[in-house]
Amino acid sequence: MLQQLDNIFFSELDNGIRIAVEEMPWLPSVSLRFVLPSGTIYDVGGMEGSSVILCDWMERGAGDKDSRSLIDSFNDLGVRRGSGVDKESLAFSASCLAEVLSPTLALYADIIRCPILADDEFTSAQQVALESLASLDDEPVSRLFIALSEAFFKSVHGRSGYGSKEGLLASNPKQLRDDFKRRISPQGLIISAAGGLKAESFVAEIQNLFGDWQGATIPAPEFELAESSYHHLSEDTAQTQIGVAYRGIAPGQAGWEEDLIAMNALSGGMASRLFSEVREKRGLVYSVSASGRQLKGFGYNLAYAGTTPERAQETLSVLLAELSKLYEGIAEQEHERAKTGILSNLIMQGESSAARASSLARSYYLLGEPRSLEVSKVAISQKSLADVNRFLHAQPKPRFSVLTLGAKALEGVA
Amino acid sequence: MSLSFHHTVLANGLEIVGEHNPQAQSVALGYFVKTGSRDESPEISGVSHFLEHMMFKGTAKRSASDINREFDELGANYNAFTSEERTVYYGAVVAEKAPLLLDLLSDMMRPALRQEDFEVEKKVILEEIAMYQDRVQARLFDKLNQNYFRGHPLGNSVLGTSQSISDLSREQMQDYFTARYAPNNMLLCVSGRYDWSEILNQVSQLTQAWQRQDSSRLYPTLNPASGKDDFEDAKVQRIHVAVSSPGFAAQDERVYAANILAYCIGGGVGSRLYWALEDKGLVDSVSFWHDSADGLGNFMAYLSMAKERYQEVMDIFYGSLAALKDKTISEEEWLRAKRKIATALTLRGETPFGRLMSFGSDYQYRQEYTSVREAVDKIMAVPLAAGQLSLEKQDFYSLSLKPALKVVG
Repeated sequence: MLQQLDNIFFSELDNGIRIAVEEMPWLPSVSLRFVLPSGTIYDVGGMEGSSVILCDWMERGAGDKDSRSLIDSFNDLGVRRGSGVDKESLAFSASCLAEVLSPTLALYADIIRCPILADDEFTSAQQVALESLASLDDEPVSRLFIALSEAFFKSVHGRSGYGSKEGLLASNPKQLRDDFKRRISPQGLIISAAGGLKAESFVAEIQNLFGDWQGATIPAPEFELAESSYHHLSEDTAQTQIGVAYRGIAPGQAGWEEDLIAMNALSGGMASRLFSEVREKRGLVYSVSASGRQLKGFGYNLAYAGTTPERAQETLSVLLAELSKLYEGIAEQEHERAKTGILSNLIMQGESSAARASSLARSYYLLGEPRSLEVSKVAISQKSLADVNRFLHAQPKPRFSVLTLGAKALEGVA
Repeated sequence: MSLSFHHTVLANGLEIVGEHNPQAQSVALGYFVKTGSRDESPEISGVSHFLEHMMFKGTAKRSASDINREFDELGANYNAFTSEERTVYYGAVVAEKAPLLLDLLSDMMRPALRQEDFEVEKKVILEEIAMYQDRVQARLFDKLNQNYFRGHPLGNSVLGTSQSISDLSREQMQDYFTARYAPNNMLLCVSGRYDWSEILNQVSQLTQAWQRQDSSRLYPTLNPASGKDDFEDAKVQRIHVAVSSPGFAAQDERVYAANILAYCIGGGVGSRLYWALEDKGLVDSVSFWHDSADGLGNFMAYLSMAKERYQEVMDIFYGSLAALKDKTISEEEWLRAKRKIATALTLRGETPFGRLMSFGSDYQYRQEYTSVREAVDKIMAVPLAAGQLSLEKQDFYSLSLKPALKVVG
């Protein structure tokens, strides 16, 4: 049963697969996204990162095609592909010209339903995951955020999208093949598409390719936060990297739009508070930002600043002061600018097939229903300055988890 | 999509081009200034990029905070960047707000360059230099450019050094600005939904006081380095390698073939280097591409690996390149690479913002308009033989950053 909301169409198959489509008939291209709730939080304890191996392994041969002929088939069609794992999901994305949509879908149906998962390809996938993890040795900012996430969450949500060396090494083909059967299931799979396609025929095609597939749901782990804390990683870097994590608003929860507007006032454009206080007025940094991160049922905020060691102490105190001060409320002009920025971004998102496919899958996953641009626009437009400030004043004082990486530790962090 | 192309040159030499798309919701505007680090002398190294920052710091009628605030009030998606040969200021807004964005961007092109703003922004630039010092790829490519270009201005550093930035005066920046930001050295590019005659009227008024200058650029001959250099870098744990070799100028028709060839060699999953190195996890990253610039171009590569695998990886890498000299690329490989490029071009062309960059830079180099459709047709028509020609005499220069040997004791 195909439902329609503004210009989007969505449907849930009997086996649990959810499909969302946005028709953009003026485009010659189509973008697709397949999201499986199978990220690193679902990795078996002791095998952290096995989802990273699994994701790669699934693309190394599927159906009647070995790794090379599968990749050749995609390239014959000119498909641009991506895949990856984060805390919650294992996802494949693709963009192609509309005329090759059907054969592209058939290849993805094979990857998701019947990957070959050959032993020798496991070894390569494991090696690629280990290399990718090792590459972090030369990326201090990435390591900062991985360590911050581990310090912020007590639950498995602290895991990064890279896994651990021990976890990757402990993974083995037999266990991961069993794990594939457990965790890759139509229950929870979301397929979204946007661009020059017809919703009705797309859903029929998905029904045809995936309709007879059955599988169980796997329960999501509970969230648990660690006590707020300060950690320092001592390293010989030119800049001291500062990362801050604190609790935010869960997607769909009351106050979500208000929080979006407030975070935009804090760190949206160049007139936002962080840019203007930390960079423009004081020249303390080149880069400073804060943004909300959404998991299903949980939201948190991350802030970042990078500065030379002698100015790190001042940067940290200005940064934390601005993060706290937000909850005292925003001014009318800030509210106007933030809303304009968000609305304008939504309009521009409506021109890109990849942005829409990704946004549809994301809203379907986080909110339980896909959101049209129109619904998002109205939800933001309705929030008055008083709404936003009422929300901000009602929030508890933020408790910061802070992590720094650089020459020396900083002081004055609670 | 029924696109149309617009073009005019004002009396002061400012060239304006537009690609109109009646389906678009938004419009993207950009000033493309033909200037960058290749146009700098050593004593003003980094001035192009520092100036780019200063262009946001106010004009005769706007303060820095006015500029930031107005961009945000327009809901604009905006920024600027500086490369070796181009400085671009751009923004995208919903179509109705085009006149306001045009007014703001045009006013910014005549900055106040106030001393107090200059001093604060200098600190930000020094922080940016420090930030890139922590990025291994930035250190690697800076060194590669220095060595490979052997004094050719395309090897100049975009950021400059802490010393050159600290020593730079406001007056030096002002002189550079006057010489380089002349209307005859700039292109205004418009993409999306707009009213061409309104744009023309408005730009003519906003820029009528802009004065022509002699903004010529030098095109010395490149005598690139070849061979191999290794450097110890106390901050790296892995080995990072950059490779460069002469290719084709952006104005040369052979760039199409060079791009396809580079895709066959190292354009991601399914390319030669992917199968030889990445598929098996011998490297964490390998890519090979063609970088075309004003007057000359280069094939480039980047590899990163564990230090134990260095020799094995580089042998495979050079072996893969050597194999190409025997014209081993098949028709299928060639066609796949072309299709991948065609899809990428089509996707980038979906939005006015994505289109602005390829349209503007392409026009600035070649002074001719190519629609996405025409570009795709051109690429699909390039025969395999063209790619084999562009490979014949390759002499690669490579530079490696390696972990420093630890002194025990």
